[in-house]
Amino acid sequence: MSGARRALGRAGLSGAGALLALAFLAPYLVMLFTAAKPEVELRVTPPRLTPLVWHWTNFAAVLRDGEFQTWLRVSLVVALASMALVVVAAVPAAYYTARHRFRGRTAFLFLVLVTQMFSPTSLVVGLHREFFELDLINTYTALILTNAAFNLAFAIWILRAFFASIPREIEEAAAVDGCGRLRVLVRIVLPLSRPGLVTAAIFAFIAAWNEYIVALTLMTDPDKKPLTVGVTSYVTAYVQHWNSLFAASIIAIVPVVVLFILIERYLVGGLTAGSVK
Amino acid sequence: MRRVMPVLLLSVVISFLAIACDRGPSAKSGGVASIKVVIADYSKDNTRPFWQALSAAYTKQTGVKVDLQVIDWNSIDQQVTTMIQNNQPPDVLNLNSFSSYAKDGLLNSSEDVLSAKTRDDFLAAFARGGEYQGKLYGFPILSSARAFFYNKSLFAKAKIAAPPKTWDEFVKTAQKITALGKGTIGYALPLGPEEAQAEWSIWMWNNGGDWKSGDQWAINSEKNLQTLKFLADLANTHKVTQVNPGKTNRTDGAFQLFKDGKVGMVMGFSPLAKQLDAEGKVDYGVTEMPTNAGAAVTLGVEDYLMAFKKKGNQEAVTKFLDLYYQPENITRWITAEGFLPVTKSGLDQMRSNAKLKPYLDALPNARLVPTTDPAWDKVKLDVQQNIGLAVQPGGNPKQVLDQLQKNATTAGGR
Amino acid sequence: MPGPRRTRRATDWQALLWLGPSLLLIGGVVLYPAARLVQASLSQYSVTGLYQGWVGLRNYARLLRQEALVTVAMNTVVWVAVIVVVTVLISLALAQLLDRRFPGRRLVRWALIVPWAASLIVTSKLFVWIYDYYFGILNPVLQSLGVLAQPVDWLGDDSTVMGAMIAVGVFVSLPFTSYVLLAGLQTIPADVYEAARVDGASAWRTYRSVTLPLLRPALLVAAVLNIIYVFNSFPIVWTLNDRNPGFGHDTMITYMYKIAFKSSLRDVGLAAALGVVNVALILVAVIVYLRTVRWREAEA
Repeated sequence: MSGARRALGRAGLSGAGALLALAFLAPYLVMLFTAAKPEVELRVTPPRLTPLVWHWTNFAAVLRDGEFQTWLRVSLVVALASMALVVVAAVPAAYYTARHRFRGRTAFLFLVLVTQMFSPTSLVVGLHREFFELDLINTYTALILTNAAFNLAFAIWILRAFFASIPREIEEAAAVDGCGRLRVLVRIVLPLSRPGLVTAAIFAFIAAWNEYIVALTLMTDPDKKPLTVGVTSYVTAYVQHWNSLFAASIIAIVPVVVLFILIERYLVGGLTAGSVK
Repeated sequence: MRRVMPVLLLSVVISFLAIACDRGPSAKSGGVASIKVVIADYSKDNTRPFWQALSAAYTKQTGVKVDLQVIDWNSIDQQVTTMIQNNQPPDVLNLNSFSSYAKDGLLNSSEDVLSAKTRDDFLAAFARGGEYQGKLYGFPILSSARAFFYNKSLFAKAKIAAPPKTWDEFVKTAQKITALGKGTIGYALPLGPEEAQAEWSIWMWNNGGDWKSGDQWAINSEKNLQTLKFLADLANTHKVTQVNPGKTNRTDGAFQLFKDGKVGMVMGFSPLAKQLDAEGKVDYGVTEMPTNAGAAVTLGVEDYLMAFKKKGNQEAVTKFLDLYYQPENITRWITAEGFLPVTKSGLDQMRSNAKLKPYLDALPNARLVPTTDPAWDKVKLDVQQNIGLAVQPGGNPKQVLDQLQKNATTAGGR
Repeated sequence: MPGPRRTRRATDWQALLWLGPSLLLIGGVVLYPAARLVQASLSQYSVTGLYQGWVGLRNYARLLRQEALVTVAMNTVVWVAVIVVVTVLISLALAQLLDRRFPGRRLVRWALIVPWAASLIVTSKLFVWIYDYYFGILNPVLQSLGVLAQPVDWLGDDSTVMGAMIAVGVFVSLPFTSYVLLAGLQTIPADVYEAARVDGASAWRTYRSVTLPLLRPALLVAAVLNIIYVFNSFPIVWTLNDRNPGFGHDTMITYMYKIAFKSSLRDVGLAAALGVVNVALILVAVIVYLRTVRWREAEA
C-alpha cells in the first residue's frame, strides 16, 4: 500500500518537476524559436511563438562570423584564466583563515565581505584609469585580474567553510608523518575539498563569462571584446537582428550549461560546508 | 581530483600564456607613433569595415598607426566621458555634439587641423552648425534630413487621396487610418529618450516656434506650448498614436512599426528609406511635413568629427582628416550608411541618386538644432529625458516646458 | 592554543604570505578604484569629464537636494526587498522539491541552470522582446489564457514596469538561491527527520521547528548575498527601463549611471558621491540584517 503511495507521490513530484523545468526554460525556448526565424518573420501580428520557416542556418551563420569567433575565444580565455586565478588566490587565504588565528583575521574576512559590496558600475571609471596607467587597457590581463578580484569573496567564503570542516586529526596525522603545511594542503586537504573547489571555480567561471560592464569599458578593441559585449552589436539603434542576437546568445549559453552539467553533482556538495566524509 | 586538476592546470597555463603574450599598446597616446580614433557605430555592416580600410590606407601612407575604436551609440557617451575624466581623450572623435568640448578648450579648430580645400568644401549651413565663438570646431562628418513618410497602401485603404499639408488635414488623416482598426496606427510619435529633441524640433518649427528667440532660450513660448498640447491631444484625445508615445523611441519603436506596415505616417530619414527598400514590404511615399505656419520646415542633423588637443598630434590628425574628406572616401561611406553629404563636392556626386532627391532638395534649407550653444548638450539631454512626460495621460505640457526652460537658462551659467 | 610570542609573530608573517595574492587582488582591483571613487566624489568635473578641482562635501549636499532621489530610493527599497523575499520563499520550496528523489530530478536541476548560465544582459534583452506590446509573445499568451482582456504595455505603462522588472529579477535569482538552500538541506542528517516523525510531528510542524532552524546558515548566506547582488544589479533595470524618460523607475545604481553619463546632469562628481552613498547603504543594510539575525539566534 505504501509502495503504491510512494510511487504516486514520486509521479506527482515528477509532474511538478516537469512543470518547473518548463517554467525555467520557457523564456529560453522563446529565444531558441526566435533565433530560428528568418528576418521577415521576426515581427508579425499576431505574434507567433514558432517560425513558419525554420531557419537553422542562422546558427551556422553566427558560428561562421569571424567576429563571433573572436568574442568566443576572448570569453573562453578570460573566464578560464579568471577561474584559475581565483582558485590560486582563494585557496591559501581560505585555508590559512580556516586553520589559524592571527591578528587581523576578522578584519580580513570583513574586508573580503565589504569588497563584494562595491558595484562594478561605480568602480569602472577608477578601473579604467588604473589600467591605463599600467598600460593594460584592452589586454586580457586587465579583465582577468578584475574578474578574479570580484569573485574572490565568494570563493574564500565557500572554501573557508569547507576547510574548517575537515577534521584536524587528518592533518595532524600527516604532519606527524613529516609533511610541511603546503604539502598537507595539496596532498590531503584539497582532494577532500573537491566539491568546494569545483564550486568556487565554477562560480568564478560563470561570473567572468557573463560579466558585462567592466568588459564594456576596458575592452574597446574589436579583437578583445568578449561575448557579452559583442552580441549587443546585433541589436543597435539602427539595425535589429534579434534572430542573430538570440542565436549567438544560445551558443554562448551552451558551454556554461555543459560545464555545469559535468560538475553538477559536486556543486551541491560544494555548498555544503559540513558534510565532508 | 583527477578530472579537476587537468582543467585547473590548463587554465593556469592559458592564463600565463595570455598574460605573457599580451602587451598593451606600445605607445601611450599623444605621441605621433599612433593616433586614437573613436567612431560611433552606425551599422554593423558598414561602419567598421570602412574605417578599418581608411585607417589601413592612412598607416600605409604616413606610417602612423591608428588605434581605431568603433563604439555603439548606447555606450559612447560613457566611454568618452571616462576617457576624458582619465585624461586620455582620443585624437579624433566622432560624436553628435561638440560645443561643450570646445567650451572646455579641449579641441583644435579647423585652422589647426583642416586643409583650406576641405574647409571650403563644407556646405554653409553645416559649417555654421559646427562653430563655437566664431571658429569651426565641429567638422561635419555626415548629415541627415527628415522627411514625412506615409504608407501608400494604408492611405488607399482609408481612401485618402493625398498626404496632409496642414495640421487639420493631418489629424483627420490620422483618424481615418486609425479607424481602419486591427491595431493600425495613424501616426507613430516617438518622444522617448532616444532622440525626442528631433521629433519635437520638427513639430515646434512647423508651428512657427523655435528653441531660441534671438540669443535667449524660448522653450516655453506660447507657440511651443500650443504645439506640445497638440501632440498630447494626438495621443490622449484623438488617440491616433501608438501606445505610450512618450516612451517610444524612433529606431526600435516608431520606425519598426512603420516597417511592419502598421503605421500610416511617421517622420523618417534616408536610412529608413534604405531599409524599407531592402525589405520591400511597405509601399511608401516621401513628402514634406504638414505645417501649421507657412512653408514646411524640416530638421537637418549633422554629426561631427573633432580633433582633441594633444601634444604633437596636429600633423598626424590633419593628414587623417584630409584622407577622410577626399570626395571618394567620404561619399563612399555616407552612401553606404544611407546618410546625406556635408560637402559641396559630395552633394554633386550624390545628386545622381534619384532616391535621395527629396532629401537633397530639402537639405540646403533644413534647420539645425542650436548645437553651437554649449548649453545645448545639457538641454538636449533634458528634453530627451522629460518631454515624453508631457504626452502621457495626465501629463502637464506647461509644467514640462517651464522646467525645461528653467534648466536651459541656468545650464548656460555652469 | 596560543603559543609563545615568537610563534605568534611568525604566524602573522606567514599570514601575509598565504593571504598575499588575495590582498594584492583586492587592493589593486577594488580598493584603488574605490579610493578614486571617493576622490571623485569630493571633486568637481565639467560636463565633458574634465577635472575642475576640490569641492569638499558639496556633491553630497547637492545629491540630497536632487528631486528624483526620494523616488529612486523608494524604488530601490521595493526592488531589493520584494526580489529577495520572493526569491527566498520560492527557493525554499524549490530546494525541498529538488531534495527529493524522483525520476527526472536531474533534468529539473539542469533546467534550473539555464537562467543562471545566461548573462544578465542577454536575459534582459530577451524579456524586452517578450514583453513587447506589439510583437512580444506574452500579451497574446495571456490573452488566449483569458488572463488579460487587452494587451498591456508592460515596459511602458508606469503601473506595470516595476513589477515586470522585479519578475525578471526574481527569475534570475532563483537558481543560485535554490542551490544554496538545497545544499543547506542536504546538511541536515536524516535521523533528525526520523526523530521528528517518531514524535508524531506533522509535515508542516517538522518543517517549521526542525528544518527551518537548521537551514539558518544557508538562509543567511542566501539572503546577504542576494541583498548585495540585487542592490548592485545594473543590466536588468537599465535594459528594461530604457524607453522610459525621467527617473521614475530607476534604482540607485542606474540613477548613478544616468547622472554620470546620460541625463542632463552629466555630473561625474555627483555620480561618484552617489556611488559612495550606495556602498554605505548596502553596508548598513547588511550589518543591520546580520545583527537582527544573530540577535534572534542569541535569544533562541
